Amino acid sequence: MIPTAPIAITGMGAISAIGNHVTENFRSLVASKHGIGPITQLDTYHRGRLLVGEIPIGNAELYDRLHLSPEVACTRSTLLALLAAKEAMEAAAFQPGDGYRTGLISATTVGGMDATEQYYDDYLISEKHQPFIQTHPCGYAAEQMGRYLGISDFVTTISTACSSAANAIMLGARMIRAGLLDRVLVGGTDCLSRFTINGFNSLMIYTDSHCRPFDENRNGLNLGEAAAYLVLEAAEVAKRRGKSPIAYLTGYGNANDAFHQTASSDNGEGAYLAMRKALETARLNPTDIDYVNAHGTATPNNDLAEGNALLRIYGSASALPTFSSTKAFTGHTLAAAGAIEAVFSLLALQHQVVFPNLNFSQPIASLGIIPQTELREKKIAHVLSNSFGFGGNCSTLLFSKDHD
Amino acid sequence: MIKPIYIHGSGCISIQPTFEAGYFFDALTSYAQNPVPALDPDYKAFIPALQLRRMNKSMRMALFASRLAMQEAGITSIDAVITGSGLGCLRDSERFVEHLRAEEGSSLNPTPFIQSTHNMAAAALALSLGCKGYNMTYVNNANSFESALLDSLIYLAEHPTETVLLGGVDELGERTPQFWDIAGYLKHEGAEIPTPLDDRTPGEIAAEGAIFFIASQQQSYQTLGKVLAVETRLEVDNPPAFIAEFLQRNGVSTDALDAVMLGCNGDARYDGIYRTLGDTLFADLPQVAFKHTLGEYDTVVAAALFLVLGIFQHQHIPQTLLLNEVSSRTLQRILIYTQRRGQNHSVILVEK
Repeated sequence: MIPTAPIAITGMGAISAIGNHVTENFRSLVASKHGIGPITQLDTYHRGRLLVGEIPIGNAELYDRLHLSPEVACTRSTLLALLAAKEAMEAAAFQPGDGYRTGLISATTVGGMDATEQYYDDYLISEKHQPFIQTHPCGYAAEQMGRYLGISDFVTTISTACSSAANAIMLGARMIRAGLLDRVLVGGTDCLSRFTINGFNSLMIYTDSHCRPFDENRNGLNLGEAAAYLVLEAAEVAKRRGKSPIAYLTGYGNANDAFHQTASSDNGEGAYLAMRKALETARLNPTDIDYVNAHGTATPNNDLAEGNALLRIYGSASALPTFSSTKAFTGHTLAAAGAIEAVFSLLALQHQVVFPNLNFSQPIASLGIIPQTELREKKIAHVLSNSFGFGGNCSTLLFSKDHD
Repeated sequence: MIKPIYIHGSGCISIQPTFEAGYFFDALTSYAQNPVPALDPDYKAFIPALQLRRMNKSMRMALFASRLAMQEAGITSIDAVITGSGLGCLRDSERFVEHLRAEEGSSLNPTPFIQSTHNMAAAALALSLGCKGYNMTYVNNANSFESALLDSLIYLAEHPTETVLLGGVDELGERTPQFWDIAGYLKHEGAEIPTPLDDRTPGEIAAEGAIFFIASQQQSYQTLGKVLAVETRLEVDNPPAFIAEFLQRNGVSTDALDAVMLGCNGDARYDGIYRTLGDTLFADLPQVAFKHTLGEYDTVVAAALFLVLGIFQHQHIPQTLLLNEVSSRTLQRILIYTQRRGQNHSVILVEK
């Protein structure tokens, strides 16, 4: 077994529909101010029809904020990622090339699809947008980020659907524990695209209104866009450079539901196994968890499976710790979800508050579990955060105020 | 700490009949086209017809190559699935883009969307093999397989009694190769397999394939070889120094290598990197190429590992792959070095 060296989190950055940086996101969360509304940026048939968690800033302005030349081909996922990653690095206060082996592990499912879907025919007849051809592969964003941010010791990209960012965070911790890196920027990014909006709509799991996680009458998700990154460091390295951690990543688990291409098994087998493994790596008991930031997409299938998995871990509805899904604030941000919700979990630890699960009114009859619906101050030492995706990919992260 | 991992089985689908028992590159299938699709094995030998109909090419290639690897290793179950794929299920991605551009607003068929996600091959493996364990997909351009290999090394250090199914898969699209052509990636003049490695024309031959391995920390009578280390670097100023430092970190001198596998693909713009290495660091070693017979795609480096294991087994380097006249007494330790379009450099150290 690899020794379980403590993993310190020394920086975080986030941009989502409820804020352009971590503090703005926090203010929206405590004010119950959601970011779901009509589409204003993306050119799609569904404008004026479906509601999304959109970041109300156009690409040209994002270029300006990043001081990028208009000549550089950069898709929206990368632009959002750079803003969040810069914030995380500034918070962690380190310079790449300071002698510590620093890596970048990013997650995305959209990659450069927003450019491909737009210029699909145009590429063949006009030179204008052809520089965007190279942006299509999911790996391109992280490579571009690495160059921009000056991180070159290790760069990779993960794509495991909606659990992607949780897996990026998990790999970062495992690489530090395996002695391969001292420090790693981890997280995920996905912008809205016609591809994903039409995809979820074609599956008939896109709500016609605001999503209602864990509600009996939930009827689907809202998509959102976001990017969020954390700086993980060997606790020893953070200590050596006098940086006090925000919190620690103490547990992680990855499992596969092996049930269906898109649907989760009713008993939430994959989710159950991922949570179990996260508790095992952290050497904690279920009762040690003070708050669960649920995946809670508000699709009929996910919330039932996740609820059942939680009941299997805790035995009964009354034994469940305080839990909520924050998807009604941001929308489901796909490959970024695990990272944005990691930031929310860390904010919960930092400020000792549980964020509300909006739009809930009636518990799922077969489960009888009730999420936290109002902001609640609470003593929180450990937070569990779930991320589940198509292909049965289930991952759970466990964040703690201290390490043992 | 990372420990070597032993490979007990391998399976390869490519543009050569690598899935046929006993085939070892002595005869090559020639092509005069670009791109070149992979040869189809009799998928029904391993995949029930009903399932097969619903699977895109990435899924079926990955499942078939995995079954070959499991058969060779003599196992029927695995504990984890770790894959790499530069572009995922490309054809279904194209299909869904085409549908939504033509008919956004009408009821679109969700199947191409579902099967477009990059993790769908790893998911199909988990589903088909009933594997509820660790499941990962790396999408890191031409270093996607290397990330999966590195994760396998870490995972088996964490879980020393488990067995991992590790592999890489990439399929060709229909529209995407046209985009690559516009971007200047593809070879026109001299677009042949085997590709002439004479530094005369630019571009690569686009291809596809799937290569899977069974790996664990236990050596057995079935062991084909072991992977000691892998490293990747997006950009490298000085490839000889990068490789020399990697060897030094792993306590191996160039003299201790028996051969080197190089990723020459006939792209005159970038093959000079290999030529320089061949003339300096590796001048005294047998130099082996593979991309000129298998084409270029993000995870083709996995085929280099497949070939190295074959070389160990046969104790012979196929003449069709040799770049120089140097011979070696034994074939026990081989280094793989590749890059693509001047970036995504990687080194893998393999021992018998």
